[in-house]
Amino acid sequence: MTVERLIFGLGLMVIGAPAALMALLGLAAVLGRALAERTVARAVQTAIVVGLTSSVAILILMLVVGRRSVPIDLGHLVSVPHFHFDVKLLFDHLSVPFVILTFVLCGTVSAFAGRYMHREPGFNRFFGLFSVFLVGMLLTSLAGTIGILFAGWELVGLSSALLVGFFHERPMPVRNALRVWTIYRASDAALLIAAILLHQFSGHGDFTQMLGSGAWPEGSALLTHWEAFVVGLLFLIAAAGKSALVPFSGWLPRAMEGPTPSSAIFYGALSVHLGAYLLLRVGPILELSVWLCAIVIALGLITAVFAAIAGHAQTDIKSALAFASLAQVGLIVAEIGAGLRYVALIHILGHACLRTLQFLRAPTLLHDYHRLENAVGRHLPRLPVSWEQHLSPSLRLRLYRFALNRGYFDDFLFRYVARPIQGFFRWCNNLELRWTAWLSGTPAHDAHTTKATSIELDEAA
Amino acid sequence: MKVEVSATSINKTGTELAGPGAIPSGLAEAIERAVHLLPMQGPITSFIHHNTLHAFEQLPFHDAVLAGAELYSCEPYLPEEAFRRELARGRIRVADLSAIVQADLGEEADTPLLLLCTRRQLRMAMLEHSLLSAPASELRWFVAQADALRRFRADAPADQRRSCIEQTRHWIVRDLLPSIRRDPMNSSNGTPEHQRAAGLLRDLDPAAVDEWGDTQWEAFTLKTLWRICRAGVHGLAHAAPAEARQRHRDALLRATGEDTDLLVNEMLIPFCAAFLDQGLARWLLPERETGFIRTFQLLHGQSDSKLRPWMRELPEELQRWEQHGWTAMAAIHDSLRQMGVHEDEWPAFLTRTLLALRGWAGMLKQMELRQETAEHPAPAGTIVEFLAIRLLLDRLAAQDVARRLLRDELPVSQLRAKRPIGPSETELTLDQRAFPVFQLAQILGWLPMDLYRLSKSQWAALVSEVEQFSGLERRRVFQAAYERKYRIEVLDAISAHGPFPPTSKLAGRFQAVFCLDEREESFVRHLEEVAPAVEAFGTAGFFGVAMYYRGVADAHFCTLCPVIIQPQHWVAEEALSAVEGLNQRRAKARRLLGGTSHRLHVGSRGFLGGAIAAAFGVVASLPLVARVLFPRSTARLRRHVDQMVAPPRSTRLRLERVDEKPSRVGGGIGYALPEMTVIVERLLRNIGLTSQYAPLVFIVGHGSSSLNNPHEPAHDCGACGGARGGPNARAFAQMANDPRVRLALRERGLSIPSSTHFIGAYHNTCDESFTCFDLSDVPASHGDALKSALESFRVAQERNAHERCRRFDSASLSLSPEQALWHVEGRSEDLAQTRPEYGHATNAVCFVGRRQRTRGLYLDRRTFLTSYDPTQDDAESSILAGLLSAVVPVCAGINLEYYFSRVDPGGWGCGTKLPHNITSLLGVMDGAMSDMRPGLPWQMVEIHEPVRLLFVMEATPAAMLSIMSRNEDIGRLCRNHWVQLATLDPQSNALHVFDGREFVKYRPEKPLLPRVASSVDWYRGWRDHLGFAVVEKGG
Repeated sequence: MTVERLIFGLGLMVIGAPAALMALLGLAAVLGRALAERTVARAVQTAIVVGLTSSVAILILMLVVGRRSVPIDLGHLVSVPHFHFDVKLLFDHLSVPFVILTFVLCGTVSAFAGRYMHREPGFNRFFGLFSVFLVGMLLTSLAGTIGILFAGWELVGLSSALLVGFFHERPMPVRNALRVWTIYRASDAALLIAAILLHQFSGHGDFTQMLGSGAWPEGSALLTHWEAFVVGLLFLIAAAGKSALVPFSGWLPRAMEGPTPSSAIFYGALSVHLGAYLLLRVGPILELSVWLCAIVIALGLITAVFAAIAGHAQTDIKSALAFASLAQVGLIVAEIGAGLRYVALIHILGHACLRTLQFLRAPTLLHDYHRLENAVGRHLPRLPVSWEQHLSPSLRLRLYRFALNRGYFDDFLFRYVARPIQGFFRWCNNLELRWTAWLSGTPAHDAHTTKATSIELDEAA
Repeated sequence: MKVEVSATSINKTGTELAGPGAIPSGLAEAIERAVHLLPMQGPITSFIHHNTLHAFEQLPFHDAVLAGAELYSCEPYLPEEAFRRELARGRIRVADLSAIVQADLGEEADTPLLLLCTRRQLRMAMLEHSLLSAPASELRWFVAQADALRRFRADAPADQRRSCIEQTRHWIVRDLLPSIRRDPMNSSNGTPEHQRAAGLLRDLDPAAVDEWGDTQWEAFTLKTLWRICRAGVHGLAHAAPAEARQRHRDALLRATGEDTDLLVNEMLIPFCAAFLDQGLARWLLPERETGFIRTFQLLHGQSDSKLRPWMRELPEELQRWEQHGWTAMAAIHDSLRQMGVHEDEWPAFLTRTLLALRGWAGMLKQMELRQETAEHPAPAGTIVEFLAIRLLLDRLAAQDVARRLLRDELPVSQLRAKRPIGPSETELTLDQRAFPVFQLAQILGWLPMDLYRLSKSQWAALVSEVEQFSGLERRRVFQAAYERKYRIEVLDAISAHGPFPPTSKLAGRFQAVFCLDEREESFVRHLEEVAPAVEAFGTAGFFGVAMYYRGVADAHFCTLCPVIIQPQHWVAEEALSAVEGLNQRRAKARRLLGGTSHRLHVGSRGFLGGAIAAAFGVVASLPLVARVLFPRSTARLRRHVDQMVAPPRSTRLRLERVDEKPSRVGGGIGYALPEMTVIVERLLRNIGLTSQYAPLVFIVGHGSSSLNNPHEPAHDCGACGGARGGPNARAFAQMANDPRVRLALRERGLSIPSSTHFIGAYHNTCDESFTCFDLSDVPASHGDALKSALESFRVAQERNAHERCRRFDSASLSLSPEQALWHVEGRSEDLAQTRPEYGHATNAVCFVGRRQRTRGLYLDRRTFLTSYDPTQDDAESSILAGLLSAVVPVCAGINLEYYFSRVDPGGWGCGTKLPHNITSLLGVMDGAMSDMRPGLPWQMVEIHEPVRLLFVMEATPAAMLSIMSRNEDIGRLCRNHWVQLATLDPQSNALHVFDGREFVKYRPEKPLLPRVASSVDWYRGWRDHLGFAVVEKGG
């Protein structure tokens, strides 16, 4: 029993330390107190070291004791007859490695950012958002219920959109942040609907109960085939938005507007894998439907192929890395669809580390190329794309255009989703104007062009 | 010269393409003018500092910055608040402002302005006090809601305020109220005068007035004043706003809020990047060598119209070009016609069109000019083709937006006539014009009754006087005052310090020749403090050796000389034959390792390669964590490993040519003996080292190395064209040591004793390392001298690191010199470090003269030091003229680039480094799709004081005037005030300052300088810029 208590205590530290950090930085911001750079860096380091040691300790304990899944119940937040919102964390073979990965990468990137962002006016804002992201990541990975998962998911989305728009004095980061935010909202909606349906179908949103008795990666969901298909599809949409799978891929390069460390941690390492993580978590649901698995594999492969093609044509290092990430995420998703969950997990861990390093080194590219050129003794050879030679010229041209324009997915979404929605609301607006105009008996076109009454200054004084 | 080249290429394209008489010749000219205005920065891999407004150098500085600011939408000077902060902390004195205003106004300074004040008083009030100006709505809020009409401004003098309130009270009670009472309150049939008074007091209750206290009277005084100002300004003519020749995009943006440039740029940016890519992408733009338009046609000849409706007609248009066989010029002509742009506005219109994506356009042009040096240059005429495509896309996008949002089928040619919605932004409202007068009245104590009595024409005069001294004008004055204060400090210091006659040359233990770079000033100073017997010189850091150089481990020859010179010689480093085998083996190992890591690097971005790499990805976390957490140790470890495959240290330069003609291979490499002799002689004569040689003479080149810094080459030696100058120093030393060269020199009257040995060295200004070349060649007899000299260098290294660290916020002020050296080493190896060093930031002065005249003066790393001995020059000052032809443009270029990047970091500069993204191996973008960003990043310029470089020449005014008239480049920079110029008399301490026409004798303000024992006593504990002091140890 003491082991249980110990894990409970450690589990609290894992989530508590970053939460305290978020509270500290958030409170300082709300009170308008700018903390010194050094203080912020210390606080971040402390929180991460505490969290990391606790999570490693949990892993060791679990291995020693041989427990494969340890839920930590923190009580009910809301409890009404047909619904209760449990605050429940789940430590198992999926979440613990992911948590450790999160701590290691966040720790490294925060150490990096502490120097990289030196003297930047938004230093505190950066770390404030960074702590929100960290808490979001941990909540999502450790979520024992779908409700907690959603909360973490939202925190991650919010912090990434705000970090994309970090340089809000220029228009482009803000525009692109809004794009990212819009896609995230759409995927959030899918997740929310999935959560509600899940409640509806199975009666609760608790992963341990919902996904059957076995610990991850076994477990089997108690849903019918069709229920699983519908819910799983919604989960897939949510994952696709978060992980920039086709057709949502357009936002990924746009997200490179933020400072380099945030690009590294979000789009090279953690955030972009979150969709895959979700699919891993609800794996037992996917398993119930062969069709669903087929769709997951197909989407993963399509994304991987698309990203590999697009990545080859990118001429800036951050986009090239973003698409390289995406290609691997696509593969990971396909692996999940094929039921290779441990493979997928290892793939995530390895890939996240590799890509973070590459992103952090991105500004050194010219230096590195220079070194390599000297080592090789000539201009760096262009490594040919193996399949490209086998294409007919016209196909190659078309494919190149497709790659250079990043698959036209943004244009596609804009034309066939955003525009119609915009049109629909314009139409509603018109309808309303006419309706109010009819009620008030004024001609319609005046209703929305009322002139601002000019106040004579003199009189106001 | 480059411009002329471009002009001819354009003309050629033009005549080729135009059918007989189809294209007016004015078009080529207009395009040429527009292209000339593009940024001149080339690929970032070799960074060459240049005047950002190079294209405007024929104008006086202040006119040029205003014109440039307008054209590029940038700021010409620092913001007014920044200057006011400098005023508050004493960096600008009121006396400086007053002197500038006096110089501007001349005799009119004391002309009374409507008996209210003098013109000087008015301007000084506007400079010293911050007048609020705000958008109309904010101002309205401010007047209505804030205290503006209740309390006097806090900076209005108290006695003036009291007297104003009292006099206004008397005026209202004694004069105005009775005059209204005499007639019944019926404004409709009173006299105009009466109506005016009644209007002024319209909400005043005469009965209540007697009860009022001070607060009420203060408020009423201000309200009256405000009403009078508003009434006074009412109906005054506006200064005619400059008619902006706008693009269709501007008109549409104002009419619809939709920016067509977004559509067009989103399409053009990836295309330009792919067109120029030097090897970042694995997959190349097909057939790009056929030219911009051809490739564009190839790629977009088929329709994307389903997804991008605005491009629906693009294939059709491109086909039309092809059918007609149009050249770029013909296409441009056609677009201009269709867009309704008249011939007289071509230059302005085309300029604005090109500047809409000025970074990329500039880079296209630059790559066109680099046919020889770039791996993938752009074909000639690319920029014209780009313009043709740009105009076409602009037109299509404009058509689409107009159709969609304006819902009318207006032809594109008439779009610009579209009336914008809402009031014009440029015209000031009544309140905006009245408010400055209202504020000035409080500051200068103008009484409401005096203003009340002004006639309309007097009001017009007053307002125009106020408006003429606009924000831009005030900033110009501030800028001039900002520079004046520092100029006076410099000149005072030189005048007070410069010992005359210069102390006789020391029989030095050793001599050292450095680059004139202002970063070496502190190194030189510390060296002089450590080793008082050293004699130091400064000169352009390529030491007269202009060459293409390839190190033993380098892949290519790189250019090592100033941009204005085209090298004629090649020099290569070779391993000594004893270690040649080792060298070959290691080169092979490097090739293998390099090839593998390249494949890994690129492969891991691929599909399967990435998957395999990811399998081992967790291993990648080890170097990741190590590099980030322990940068210095990791770098050390790495160096040890690298050492195993590094080229052997025993190398020599292949410096002597066998063949008749220089070439890049075999016997063509190197210099002939007479050429070496000329190089050695020229340098020694330039710096005045013609006698009293010490046993050891060090020639010290410099460069910088840092990680994670796309702008790394910007920290290298400017005189080596943004590269590292070690090989130049080494080559020079080798030449000067050659006995045959010495023999030839003796014949030319320059005898170097055989006991003197030259040593080449390299100083890294970032990690502060100091390396000497070919030490094995030093004669044994010099062993002790060498040892003690190297020890002096070592101490100077540490002290220099220490002085540099005071500028870094992240380095504690309490570091010891050893710790400081450790700290700067760490900075250069830290992936996360955005400020490995501060480069040329804070540069402000260039001294050309004998080091003895500045030796022992603390110059704060802000002064370029060029050695020149006027007593050895001839009557025509030919040595000085030769020196300055390189020194003036290079130093001015560095200084002006820093000036512009500092005053508008996001406009002229490339903004903060944090979101930078390397593109096409040519430059940086913000994020994944922005314009190419030329200029310097904020992290390089943040501590810079944007002042124009002050040249102090040890020469007579007559000599300088003669050089300026002989060398047009120098003359233009000086006469147009792009640099400041002063002379220090070679025979006395007299200084003269150039005012644009002639030299004026300078009268020092402060005769004495503070004295300190050593540099560290002066700078310790201080981060900001420091004044001048005499450092006794170094003297």
